[in-house]
Amino acid sequence: MVQISLSRRALLHSSALVMASAALPRYGFAQAVAKGGRLIVAADSEPRNLNPAIVASNGVFFISSKVIEPLAEASFEGKDGLEPRLATNWEGSSDGLSVTFRLREGVVWHDGTPFTSADVAFSALEVWKKQQNLGRLVFANLQAVDTPDDHTAVFRFSRPTPFQLIRNSLPVVTSVVARHVFEGMDDIAASPANNQLIGTGPFKLAEHKPGEYYRLERNDAYWGEDKPYLDEIVYRVLPDRAAAAGALEAGEIQLAAFSQVPLADLERISKVEGLKVYSKGYEALTYQLAVEINHRRKELADLKVRQAIAHAIDKDFVVKTIFLGYAQSSTGIIPQNAPEFYTSDVPAYPFDPARANALLDEAGYTKGADGKRFSLKLLPAPYFGETRQFGDYLRQALAVIGIDARIVNNDSAAHQKAVYTDHDFDLAVAPTVFRGDPAISTTILVRSGTPAGVPFSNQGGYANTQLDALIDKANETVNVAARTELFRQFQRMVAEDLPLINVAEWGFITVASAKVSNVSNNPRWAVSNWADTALES
Amino acid sequence: MKRAFLLLRRRAVGSIVVLLIVIVGAFFLLEAAPGDAVDAYVLSIGGGDPALVQSLRESYGLDRSLFARLWLYLTALAQLDLGWSVAFNRPISAVIFERLPNTLWLMGSATALAFSLGTLLGILAGARPRSACDRILSVGSLSLYAIPSFWLGLVLSIVFAVQLRWFPTAGIETIASGKQGLARALDIAWHLVLPVCALGFIYLALFLRMMRAGMAEAWRQDYALAARARGLVRRRIVLRHVARTALLPVVTMLGLQAASMLGGSVVIESVFAIPGFGRLAQEAVALRDAPLLVAIIIVSAVMVMIANLVVDAAYALLDPRVGAAETSA
Amino acid sequence: MTLLIRFLRSPEGVAGLVLLGLLISVALLASVFFPRDPLSIAGPALLPPFQDRAFPLGTDRLGRDVLAGLMHGARASLAVGIAATLVAMVVGALVGTIAGFAGGIVDEALMRIVDAFQIVPGFLLALAFVSVVGASLLVVILAIALGAWTGPARLARAEVLSIRERDYVAAARVIGMHPLEIAIREVLPNALPPVLALGSVIVAGAVLTEAALSFLGLGDPNLVTWGSMIAEGRNVLRTAPFLSIIPGIGLVLTVLGIYLFSEGLGEALARRRIRA
Repeated sequence: MVQISLSRRALLHSSALVMASAALPRYGFAQAVAKGGRLIVAADSEPRNLNPAIVASNGVFFISSKVIEPLAEASFEGKDGLEPRLATNWEGSSDGLSVTFRLREGVVWHDGTPFTSADVAFSALEVWKKQQNLGRLVFANLQAVDTPDDHTAVFRFSRPTPFQLIRNSLPVVTSVVARHVFEGMDDIAASPANNQLIGTGPFKLAEHKPGEYYRLERNDAYWGEDKPYLDEIVYRVLPDRAAAAGALEAGEIQLAAFSQVPLADLERISKVEGLKVYSKGYEALTYQLAVEINHRRKELADLKVRQAIAHAIDKDFVVKTIFLGYAQSSTGIIPQNAPEFYTSDVPAYPFDPARANALLDEAGYTKGADGKRFSLKLLPAPYFGETRQFGDYLRQALAVIGIDARIVNNDSAAHQKAVYTDHDFDLAVAPTVFRGDPAISTTILVRSGTPAGVPFSNQGGYANTQLDALIDKANETVNVAARTELFRQFQRMVAEDLPLINVAEWGFITVASAKVSNVSNNPRWAVSNWADTALES
Repeated sequence: MKRAFLLLRRRAVGSIVVLLIVIVGAFFLLEAAPGDAVDAYVLSIGGGDPALVQSLRESYGLDRSLFARLWLYLTALAQLDLGWSVAFNRPISAVIFERLPNTLWLMGSATALAFSLGTLLGILAGARPRSACDRILSVGSLSLYAIPSFWLGLVLSIVFAVQLRWFPTAGIETIASGKQGLARALDIAWHLVLPVCALGFIYLALFLRMMRAGMAEAWRQDYALAARARGLVRRRIVLRHVARTALLPVVTMLGLQAASMLGGSVVIESVFAIPGFGRLAQEAVALRDAPLLVAIIIVSAVMVMIANLVVDAAYALLDPRVGAAETSA
Repeated sequence: MTLLIRFLRSPEGVAGLVLLGLLISVALLASVFFPRDPLSIAGPALLPPFQDRAFPLGTDRLGRDVLAGLMHGARASLAVGIAATLVAMVVGALVGTIAGFAGGIVDEALMRIVDAFQIVPGFLLALAFVSVVGASLLVVILAIALGAWTGPARLARAEVLSIRERDYVAAARVIGMHPLEIAIREVLPNALPPVLALGSVIVAGAVLTEAALSFLGLGDPNLVTWGSMIAEGRNVLRTAPFLSIIPGIGLVLTVLGIYLFSEGLGEALARRRIRA
């Protein structure tokens, strides 16, 4: 996996870090890592269901990934960008009908029961396939899991399922839960066990005080040698993003991930003694800033109008001013830090308001006496400050080309209902996520036929039979090269027809005390198990 | 004593009707909300398919008719069952009573601060109406009253928590400290200093002004004039007669301000990340947890009612005229 | 007229009047100085105040002119405050007058509804209302009014009850005036002055409530108000504190002006009463 270059500023940050560590001998030479200690981390939400096998989302992983482990984790160095966790080896058959996993031996659950292939079979068939938001898609054709012995699991599919897809989705969709905890339950999703996690991970969930904190304790029986290094991890609930920076400076917490410290504060905070800023460690969690379009509006159904909107957006301004350089402008629907699939060979839409105005004139929407061509309803997603700010910016950018956009601000529930269920929007700003393979959560953004009510799916009424056929073909193509080529075509088609407009892609920023070591050392660091993270006292 | 009891009984009966209005009103308000608890949940997990959404709706009873749900709710409430929180997946009463003490501490301390300091300064200002001291205190308190509490909270937090590090930036106690007994109480008190100041200073101005106005009125009464004519020492007149009379309406204000202060604590709890009642209300709105929000509104209404009843009863005991009017009415 | 003279004799009142006069002129002149949308991106982002002559108070996170926002914000904040107060006063006065005049079961029912609104914390109610209906200017105004109309209602009812039995009302009844006509022509005008005094306090409260709602992200996103400016600035509070301080000062001065004004008004009214 290639490390992405976020931006010049971000690069400067990471090279400054390298120099800093070279200058300080204790970082350069000290081989023995500090052991023990309590790491206090800022958390901005308390997920209702904490089980990552059911809810594969970053908010859940942030806490539960230390307790419940996947079969494999993302890695900077490992083959195919992966590193073993509960599985030590994985292999797909050439017909795409089976995948064989060798499982780690000598692993025990937190309650002392040994971990076996039966747990994997149960998790796959009963939890991932039936309950999990992403697994329902990836494992749709999973028919059976054979367990010839305690440490081998063979997944059997009823239709060819690309091994590339399974492999790419391993870190996200394969969190293994204990069979003996969940077996025989009528309603696994509603079980209290989803919040009293039993896992195999380096930490045990010890305590949750709602509204205040989660406390994780060291798992002394962890399979990783000597690990974990920390005694405790405490997640302090700070729902207000502005509070995290203050708490870090005051030394009340030692780490804030997922850009909990506002981007605008980073320059100042990077100068605070004892604090470090990391822009690495989110390469496999790329968020994309996209403008969703409701094609039911006759103006927006016109390709020229969509092209005009694309030309009206100054991506450079978005990256520099809204993301303060901690992002990259997008060329298409697949982000640049998915080099396996990414192609830059797609039509581009440079910032050009004159061209945009000309396109709109051509399309027949001339300016009225008040300088306006038509009005649109714009719904920025409320989840990130940046999506809201981009909404403010887009309104102004559209005003320049004579489109009058009215912003409607909703909270999460109302936004979800308005955009994905009621289709009561013209333009929406969405932070979509690329999860390692386009088939997991990217193709659904443009494929037709998804019923109303599914968030982050094509609810703009866009239907393109050619594109649908291409997506379906890729889903059954087992050959890696052929499948990759199909997704390159997919990117070109999307960029030509603009079912949605991709503006920027960003990773997050971690700020940690200089005493915390082994931060951001894998592409999903914030949601990985932190077994090697250490805290100097 | 009997009058006070009769008054309480009469008020309690009236309160039930009022409470019923509050409950039904709150219920319908939430019904009008776009998106329900399932929408909020499905979104929080990053998406799901329609079958999942449908089965979730059924399991929460969200697919039944409006009146069926209201009736279900009222009957449960009659048995003191506040219901099940969709967002927290726990009984609502457990969620609420976990948060309530934090808010009560915050409000109680802020009220104590505002009331004691406010009346004291009010006496100082009212002792010599229109003196320089009066004018300064009066305009000063108005300026204080004009500051938005969230703004004051932000400024206090930056100066005293982040820069000077005298107090913690946020929270109600040191997390997972394992402190018990007195150590824990002191810890909580230390965390509450800034939020209590942010909330209390605003209301301090209110009590100060009430006290001052009451005293200005009392100075004009016959006994005050008589006392001055008799040549009593000013300090004695102020404390014995004027301030005493003026205190009664200020006590009433305590009850009347309970609702407003509860509302004010919502923003303060947000600024200082205190897991209290007000922040719970915000969470209930964001997570579309209708039963929880209705329960919060009901519980806060009950709290305000109790505060008013206590103040009324105290007042009736102190001032015999009040109870008499009520019983004859 | 004499009321005005009495008002001008109180230093608080005059100070309040001057502050409010300044504010209203700022609000009215906003469009003259800044005809463009104050939300439009005008220059480089996060420019500090007093550095660039084109942006005397600097720019915010997206490069919007803070001075333009401040002036347009004065208009929006005052408009929201006054509109919410008008709604609250009209509804309250109406309900109170009806209750006071009708008496009996109607009075009882209306006053229980007033009680119900009074025991629910107004801010909690506004919070719930805005998040349910969706943030827009009108909704915010209604939400604030929702928590503020009970005061005027009680006051109006009390005034009606005290005035109802007075001679001129009784006389009007004798000459056969319709009760509604009596209410509108005789009772309302007499009950008005104290209601107006209460009004200014409600305006101040409404301006603060709007700011708090915007601060929690529940304001109208297509408008600049001081509350939304503070909320915007909060995210960069440490890096660019001026972004929250400037609108904060505006807010304090406005509310202070209104309080001082009502103080003066109250004093003038009190003196009139003593004479009467």
